[in-house]
Amino acid sequence: MAVLAAATRSRVRPQPLRRQLSRAALHAFLVAMCVVWLFPLAWAIYEALRPISDTTLNGYLSWPSGGLSLDNFTTAWTQANLPYFYLNTLYIAVPGVILTLVIASMLAFAMSQFNWKFNVLVLMIFTAGNLLPAQVIIIPLYWIYLNTPLPDFVSDNGLLYDQYIGIILIHVVFQTGFATFVLSNYMKTITKEITESALVDGANVLRIWWSVILPLCRPALAAMATLLFTFIYNDFFWALILMKSGDKRPIVSALNNLQGEFFTNYNLLAAGALLAAVPSVLVFIAFQKHFVRGLTLGATKG
Amino acid sequence: MGNKPPFGPSALDLDLSRRDVLKIMGYSSVAAFLAACSSGTTSGGSLTSTGGTVTVGSNASDPLPKKGMEMVNAAFTKANGGTVVKLNTVDHGTFQDQINSYLQGTPEDVFTWFSGHRMRFFADKGLASSIDDLWDKVKGNFSEAFATSVKGNDGHVYGIPVDYYPWAVFYRKSVFADHGYKIPTNWADFKALCVQMQKDGLTPLAMGDKDGWPAQGTFDILNLRLNGYDFHVELLTGKQKFTDPRVANVFSKWAEITPYYNDGLAGMTWQQASQLVVQKKAGMYLLGLFVSQQFKAASDADLADLDFFAFPDLGTQYDAEKALDAPIDVMMMTKKSPTLSKDRGQANAYLQFWSKGSAQLIASTAAPGVIPVANDTDTSGYDALTKKAVEIIKNAKRITQFFDRDSRPDFAGSNGMQSFLLSYLQNPKGDITSLQGKMQQFWNSLPPEA
Repeated sequence: MAVLAAATRSRVRPQPLRRQLSRAALHAFLVAMCVVWLFPLAWAIYEALRPISDTTLNGYLSWPSGGLSLDNFTTAWTQANLPYFYLNTLYIAVPGVILTLVIASMLAFAMSQFNWKFNVLVLMIFTAGNLLPAQVIIIPLYWIYLNTPLPDFVSDNGLLYDQYIGIILIHVVFQTGFATFVLSNYMKTITKEITESALVDGANVLRIWWSVILPLCRPALAAMATLLFTFIYNDFFWALILMKSGDKRPIVSALNNLQGEFFTNYNLLAAGALLAAVPSVLVFIAFQKHFVRGLTLGATKG
Repeated sequence: MGNKPPFGPSALDLDLSRRDVLKIMGYSSVAAFLAACSSGTTSGGSLTSTGGTVTVGSNASDPLPKKGMEMVNAAFTKANGGTVVKLNTVDHGTFQDQINSYLQGTPEDVFTWFSGHRMRFFADKGLASSIDDLWDKVKGNFSEAFATSVKGNDGHVYGIPVDYYPWAVFYRKSVFADHGYKIPTNWADFKALCVQMQKDGLTPLAMGDKDGWPAQGTFDILNLRLNGYDFHVELLTGKQKFTDPRVANVFSKWAEITPYYNDGLAGMTWQQASQLVVQKKAGMYLLGLFVSQQFKAASDADLADLDFFAFPDLGTQYDAEKALDAPIDVMMMTKKSPTLSKDRGQANAYLQFWSKGSAQLIASTAAPGVIPVANDTDTSGYDALTKKAVEIIKNAKRITQFFDRDSRPDFAGSNGMQSFLLSYLQNPKGDITSLQGKMQQFWNSLPPEA
């Protein structure tokens, strides 16, 4: 960078000052945006560290007089039973993400690597499915769930309603369209010669999908996994309608346990919300590289 | 059976073949099976049964009420021959949001709910079971006001009242003592006190209406005092019109005290507004007894300093009713529970248990802020605030449930009355007639409730 700057400086004279100014302006802007974006988070952390008696007596805009402590975090952890609800969400998110990726990558593979009569039409249908708001179908879906019998070994009440498997299914159904769209765009960038040469070598279609295409799609799959995990993790809606058992609910609803019927300890709630956000942040950090790349997935070829 | 008979088969002179033995064993096992089948249900004339299980859907998700619920369940199990209570606790916000789909799906046998229109609505839709036979056994333990509160539109009983809490004007004893304020009993004194508080540098009345519902408490009490219980209930159920001049009176009366509210009330929650009272910046606050939780969050000393008085008389014939909002919580029986036919006896026993003062006291002791309703409750352990709350409600000839429990939810909610009252509070001297027109228009635009 310094070499580059030096090189430009030596070439043209009036530019350095302007460039320095614009860089300073850029950094000022970036720092300002950082502050704006981080402020709510920092504020939440600050209030989460203060006891409720302090903020009740002195207001939220005050310096701590009751000391700072992690008490709210430990209380939220136990009172909202967070470890339990983290697991509940994992039961839904992990199979949901894996199933979605398997199905979507198969579909995308078929639509991007093979020429058949309806592949564009099928892709359009899947894409159109993305545009359908979930709320539109909730009433028929509710009755379908309530009237679909399941064998006892997958459902403890003999129904699709009020089961993890029901929530997993609806996530898979709703996310597959988007995932197919993104993955097929990515797979279009893979030259068809690879598939064809694998065919010539005698690999069957499943083998090509698994051994040739999927390894090439690793960045796209990682990006999709991150996105899907965040989507499913943040979902509150499906469990609200399609589940009735309080102890099967996902983590987002565990936060509601920290809100009183009348009185809410907002400091405690802030601590709980921060804790609930941790897994999403961890997943993001783990897949950060892919996630940023994922934002431009399919941008090169549509 | 496995033991050898002392004298051998010959002693009884029975000549049973192997097949006969099998036959007898077969018959007896059928009989045993039939007996086993019937033991889970109510038998004959008995309304309740012991043992078995009962399932309960509960919105008591706050730590203390949840603990109270679990303690009552444990006591019930002990008292009812080991009946297992399967509790499904759902946080109250979600419970309320999904009550419709919950009751139509596979609900538990018994569920926690509210009295008023909210109860009658689900009774009308056939999603709650009437419990007339059980009520006949326990009604002696409830006063008239509570008996009325659990009746559906069809005259049947749909719930057991378990607790309630009053709405009143809350203040700090120390603030009143320091300034030498007296409890106002009529409108003129009330307004004079507001003027005096303002002179003393206090915000006379706290109000935080960001969530929309707190202002409905003031509307309720003014309408009750000015126009009476009957008009209020009829207005909220559409039998009277919001364009009625009597409603205009409510708003003009209200406008006499709106100048005494704190600034920024539209952006403040009730908790933020009540902090003004905790911090001695505001003098009085018309709210429910739950405001005590905000004081308790500050410190026990602050809680001990909290007191309240009934809303002052307005000089009308309806003052004598001493009516007030005192929302009642009830336990109800569902209709569509897949286990209810099997558990009906236990569900009855469970509701009967909740009708006792002893059970209600367990719950309210674990979670202060609500008061038991059963007549046989042991009141000797009540704290000062609870004793006073009982007193103020005892004086009331009429009890209402609060606007959003007495009216249909879509009218009371954020698209309806909540937003109308907010816009009123932002401009109390504005065009009330057009506001009333909007209220009535909105009511008329709502689809039939069914």
